[in-house]
Amino acid sequence: MREILRHPTGLAGALMLSLVLTAALVGSLIAPYDPQLFHPIARLQGPSTTHWLGTDQFGRDILSRILNGAWATVSFGVTATVLGVAAGAAVGMTAGLIGGAVDNVIMRIVDGVLAVPDLLFTLLIVTVLGGGTGHAMLAVAVAFTPGMARIARSAVLSVRTREYVQAAVARGESTGYVLVREVLPNAMGPLIVEATIRVSFAIMLGATLGFLGLGAQPPSTEWGLMIAEARQFMFRNPWAVIAPGAAIAVAAMGFNLFGDALRDVMDPRGRRR
Amino acid sequence: MSGAASPVLDIRDYSLGYATGAGPFQALKQVSLAIARGRTLGLVGESGSGKTSLAWAIMRYLPANAVEGSGNLLLSGEDLRAKTPAEILNMRGRRIGMVFQDPATSLNPTMMMGQQIVEVLIRHRKLAPRAAAEVAESLLARTGIARPRDMMLRYPHQASGGEKQRVVIATAFACNPEIILFDEPTTALDVITARQIQDLFMELQEETGVAALYISHDLALVSRIAHDLAVIHHGEIVEQGAARAIFSAPRSAYARMLIASVPSPQVRLVSTAPPADAPVTLALDKATIRYGERSLLDRLLGRSQQEVVGARDVTFAVREGEILGVVGESGSGKSTIARAIAGLNPFAGSISLAGRTVNARDDIDRAYRRQVQIIFQNPDGSLNPRQRVGDIIARPLKLYGLARPGEIGERVGDLLEQVRLPRDFAARYPHQLSGGEKQRVAIARAFAAEPRVVLCDEITSSLDVSVQASVARLLVDLQARTGATCLFITHDINLVRQLAHRIVVMRRGELVDLFPVEECDAAERHPYTRSLLDAVPVAAGS
Repeated sequence: MREILRHPTGLAGALMLSLVLTAALVGSLIAPYDPQLFHPIARLQGPSTTHWLGTDQFGRDILSRILNGAWATVSFGVTATVLGVAAGAAVGMTAGLIGGAVDNVIMRIVDGVLAVPDLLFTLLIVTVLGGGTGHAMLAVAVAFTPGMARIARSAVLSVRTREYVQAAVARGESTGYVLVREVLPNAMGPLIVEATIRVSFAIMLGATLGFLGLGAQPPSTEWGLMIAEARQFMFRNPWAVIAPGAAIAVAAMGFNLFGDALRDVMDPRGRRR
Repeated sequence: MSGAASPVLDIRDYSLGYATGAGPFQALKQVSLAIARGRTLGLVGESGSGKTSLAWAIMRYLPANAVEGSGNLLLSGEDLRAKTPAEILNMRGRRIGMVFQDPATSLNPTMMMGQQIVEVLIRHRKLAPRAAAEVAESLLARTGIARPRDMMLRYPHQASGGEKQRVVIATAFACNPEIILFDEPTTALDVITARQIQDLFMELQEETGVAALYISHDLALVSRIAHDLAVIHHGEIVEQGAARAIFSAPRSAYARMLIASVPSPQVRLVSTAPPADAPVTLALDKATIRYGERSLLDRLLGRSQQEVVGARDVTFAVREGEILGVVGESGSGKSTIARAIAGLNPFAGSISLAGRTVNARDDIDRAYRRQVQIIFQNPDGSLNPRQRVGDIIARPLKLYGLARPGEIGERVGDLLEQVRLPRDFAARYPHQLSGGEKQRVAIARAFAAEPRVVLCDEITSSLDVSVQASVARLLVDLQARTGATCLFITHDINLVRQLAHRIVVMRRGELVDLFPVEECDAAERHPYTRSLLDAVPVAAGS
């Protein structure tokens, strides 16, 4: 952790992340106004001392809405990624450990799915399942599965040939023990790094789905949805679009830079502690 | 140049450090060396002693974090440190030649090998392309390559390791340089090829009278090749002088220790022999191991894949308490056999363990596996980096139920003491240990299972010379105390002659010779055994 903070992009990422995470955890408590409170007189105002980031078309305070929506946005990204990583790791590790025909079949399917762009794939799934936060999350997780499977498989393949794994097999250890105690802890590194970077993609995808009206539904304060709602009034008050857009950018960049730094720190042997 | 009086390479009080994250690291401390024309100086040291740093410094090829201290590097009286980068470029290859350890990485894989020599000749000797090609051909012929014109048209991947190293040597000698630096030039090669390359080096060196700096960790080898010897330890030259003099009477404690660690076949580490009527613990009957079965996809696509036989029809029997040495070049199938016995490779034929016969890998159960333990070459790989030493050693005890839960900590401590490590090492992680200590942990883990057969797969070859000897002694000691049968696989023939009772010689997957160690020199030895034995230098003066 200390090494990440010493890493220049790591420090930038960590600062952005702490901002976003603080907003996610205590945002609704420190918000100056109720995010759903209509204020018909003060509609579409620019930034002022009373409304730091202005108000939207219903006179709702944008800063309060962003602070309130941080939880929805971050939890969406993290949950979707965790689901995707878990599914991908399970598929990839199975393929890598069993090998042979099973590996071939699984990985060819994965290759096929990987050829479809993430956004298109999530749209497809949401179209089939119907909109809503839960379905959008699931769609992103499914879209992430093949990529994570590929990484998990290669991590397992490189660990599987290590002599400590061979030694465990020669001792007569059960497959479960070999997988959980010998392979998994040593294959986790690349998965964790990839997952951190992927949270930012998940946030972007979530916001995109929200914007398209396929994710979170009004009156949610999800940031993508905020942009979509304010879009019609973009020229009368650009702040209603710029502010949530900037918030998405900060959150995505925070996870991305942090993930990059994590990779750099863990890469050269990663054992300096 | 005024003859032998003024040295070609003269290093005076040279110091070099590296700036690292953990502060400055002093790699070379006030090193002084001189090599005259026609002489070979052997520079011997263990890994991390600074010997390769010195070669880089002479080539002026230092990494960005290098910090040079005082001192001079003089090539025929000119200070290399004062040269401009352009002068250095012009000098490399023309005045200083270099031969590295791995010929595969010093040749450009995308260029024909002939072209690589021709390029050097055109650049430094200003020859016309046609003339350069002729010179290159004669140079290659001189290095003993049978059909040099043919070799010039080949790419590096189309040549063997020995052939590639000959090409590299031809390139190094191409411009008649004043000095050639050799950095472990034969370490990556097989014993017999290595011997041929060493002989070639000695001939060429005598013929051309070039000065040579020969860097190696192998004392026995250097004692054969070098006129003078310098021993380097932690960046300091601890002793230098005529090679023969140092070998017969080393003055510094470190040189004495290094020379004493060189395995010498006359000094047996094993005093006892197993009784002639001892029961057979392990027997192989026509064991055959194949690699490279075609995958489903390959079969579907009709792709053919060469099936490789790792070992063919290997038959031998080892008695209780016996150490059987297994020698052979890389790829001869010696590790393949060990892996089959350990149940890691599928095999045909049969393996008998203490009277019980298994005919396939799937027949091998946990009871068999407890009795057969394998120790791998590289302890960095064979110990899980995320487990503590104590947990690593305790695992066989738990798995096979050899100790009650309350006693495990105690047993682990005892095992650590048996391999001469402090008991509190149990709390450490492998990366906090040195290579030799790690290998001791791996040995402790193997013996924790109370095995009847211990398979040692090159267990000393990733270690430094001085550590090798102590690990070998430890193994012999444990083997004698437990009465286990031991298969000792190695490419170090001197070492195997020190500790084995009988020796198996493998070649291209086949067992070609099997004989008691006393009969090494007997007339009926297989010709291949003979050439292996002859290829290995025995330390001079011992």
